[in-house]
Amino acid sequence: MRSIRIIAHRELSQYFTSPIAYLVAFAILMLTGWQFNVDLAQRAGSLPPDGTAVLSAFGFFTVFFAPLLTMRLLAEESREGTLELMLTMPVRDGDIVVGKFLGAWFYYTLILCLTLVYQAIWLAITTARAYQLRPELDIGPVISAYIGIWLFGGAALAVGLLFSAITENQVVSGFLGMSALFILWLGDFAGQVIQNRTVAEAVRQLSLQAHYSTSFLIGVIRFEDVVFFIGLIVGTLFITTRLVESRRWR
Amino acid sequence: MIEVQNLTKCYGRFVALDEVSFSARQGEIVGFLGPNGAGKTTTMRILTGYMPPTEGTARVAGCDIFEDSLEMRRHVGYLPETVRLYRDMTVQGYLRFVAQLRSVDRSSERVAEVLELVGMTDRARSLIRNLSKGMQQRVGLAQAIVHNPEVLILDEPTIGLDPHQVQDLRLLIRDLGQTHTVMLSTHILSEAEQICDRVIILDRGRIVAEDTPDQLRENLNRGGRLFLRVGEHAAPQEVLRVVQAVPGVEKVEAHREGYMVSVRGSIDVRPALAAAVVGHSLELLELRPWATTLEEIFLDLTTRLGQEPGRRRGRSHA
Repeated sequence: MRSIRIIAHRELSQYFTSPIAYLVAFAILMLTGWQFNVDLAQRAGSLPPDGTAVLSAFGFFTVFFAPLLTMRLLAEESREGTLELMLTMPVRDGDIVVGKFLGAWFYYTLILCLTLVYQAIWLAITTARAYQLRPELDIGPVISAYIGIWLFGGAALAVGLLFSAITENQVVSGFLGMSALFILWLGDFAGQVIQNRTVAEAVRQLSLQAHYSTSFLIGVIRFEDVVFFIGLIVGTLFITTRLVESRRWR
Repeated sequence: MIEVQNLTKCYGRFVALDEVSFSARQGEIVGFLGPNGAGKTTTMRILTGYMPPTEGTARVAGCDIFEDSLEMRRHVGYLPETVRLYRDMTVQGYLRFVAQLRSVDRSSERVAEVLELVGMTDRARSLIRNLSKGMQQRVGLAQAIVHNPEVLILDEPTIGLDPHQVQDLRLLIRDLGQTHTVMLSTHILSEAEQICDRVIILDRGRIVAEDTPDQLRENLNRGGRLFLRVGEHAAPQEVLRVVQAVPGVEKVEAHREGYMVSVRGSIDVRPALAAAVVGHSLELLELRPWATTLEEIFLDLTTRLGQEPGRRRGRSHA
C-alpha cells in the first residue's frame, strides 16, 4: 500500500510538470465550457436547467483525452530505460501499475472537479431571486452523473494504461488507446446495425456508453453498471501487470 | 553475502550465461571482467531481481533471488549500465522518491548525507535532465546507496566519466567496499586491478578465471616469460640471435611491438639478458615479466579459449 501511494504521488506531481497534462485540462475545460454556454443560451430560462448536459459531453471527450494522460506512463519508462531501476526496487509489479493508475485517476478527478464550476453557475442562476426558474436544478442526476463519469474515467484510464504497457512508443500507445475506447464507446450503436437482437444486446452491454449515458447520466445508479466499470478497471490493470511482468522473462 | 550456483540464462536459443558459480564475502569488492557480451550485465540483472535465471539458484544477503525476490531487493543497491533516471525530477526529489520506496528512515536527512557523499550537494535542486553524464552517474550511485544496502551491484560504474571523476568514484567505491559487499563489472582492466579484492573473468557466459589480481598475475607468470622491447632500428634477426645466445633462454619470438622470451627453469635471466642487449647496442626500452597487467592475462585467457572451439558451450540441447 505504501509503495502504491508513493508511486501515485510521483505520477501525480509529474502531471503538474508536464505540458501535455495542462493541455488536456485546458482542452477539456474549453470544450465543456463551450458546451455549457450553448446549453445555457438554448434553455434561456424557458427550459428547466440540466446540469448533466456538460457531463454527457465530458464522457465523449474522455474517450479521446484519457489515453493522452496515460500514454506515457509505462511507454516512456520502458523507452527511457527507467523501468529497469524501477523493477529492481522492493516493489511488486502490481504496485507499480496500480500506483501509476491511481496517479492518473487522481489527476482526472481534479480536472473533473473543475467542471463543478458549471453546476455552481446553474445553482447561482436558479436560486437568484430575480430569475427564479421552475423547476430548480435537479441535483440528484447531477450527483449520479458525477459518480458515473468518475468510474467511466477510471475505466478509460485503465484501458489507456494497458496500451501504454504494450508499446514503447507514446504516439502508438495513445492512438491504440483512443481506438480501443472509441470502439468500446460506439458499441452502443451496434444495436442499430446488427439484425440478431441477442447479439446486438450483448455487444451493447459491452459498450461504455450503455453503462453511462442511459443510466448514471439520467440519475440511475445500477449495480451492474458499477460492476461493469470496476470490473473493467480491475481486469485491465491485471493484464497490464502481467504485461509488465512479462518484461522480466524476455 | 552473494552465493551463485550453476546460474544459466538463455535468451531464446542463445546461452548468455552457462552454469556460472561463484560467491562473495561481506566487505569484499569483486570485479567482473569480460569482453562485451560475456554475460556480465545478465548476471547482475539476475542478482538484482530484474529477471529470473533460466536455471540455477543464487542467494543474495541470505535471500533466494527467486523465492524472496522482494526481500532480497531491499538489501541490494543497483547502478545499471546506462544510468537512466527520471529526467523531469530534481536530484533531491528523485533521491527522496527512491528513499521512500526503499522505506529509509528519516529520508530527507539520509538524502542530504548521500548527496554530500557523492559531492552533489550544490546541485540538489537541479533537474536531472540538465546534469552532465558524469553527474547523472553520481546521482545513480547515490540512489544505489541511499538505503545503505549490504550488497552493492555496479554495472560499469566509471564508463563515460572524465579521469578526475573516475578517480573520485574509485576512491568512493573502495570506501564503500570496506563495509559493503561490492560487485562491479568493467572492461577497463586497470580499474579492476586498482579497486578489486578479487577478479572474475567471464567469457561467453563462462568463468575462465577467478582470483585476486596479484594471484592471477602470478599464475600466468609461472611459465617464466619475459617481454622485451628494443629500439626500432634494430634488425629482428639480430635481436633474435643475441637473445637466443643468452644462457637460460629457451625460446624467443616476435610478439606485438617487442619480443616474447621464454625462460628455461627458474633462473633469473634478466641481468644477463639486459647486459647482452645493451652490449650489442640494441637500445633496451623495456624488459619485464610477461602478463604483469590484467590486460595481458585477459587477452591470453580470452583468445586462448577462442582458439579451442571444443570448449565453447558443450550444451547443444540448450
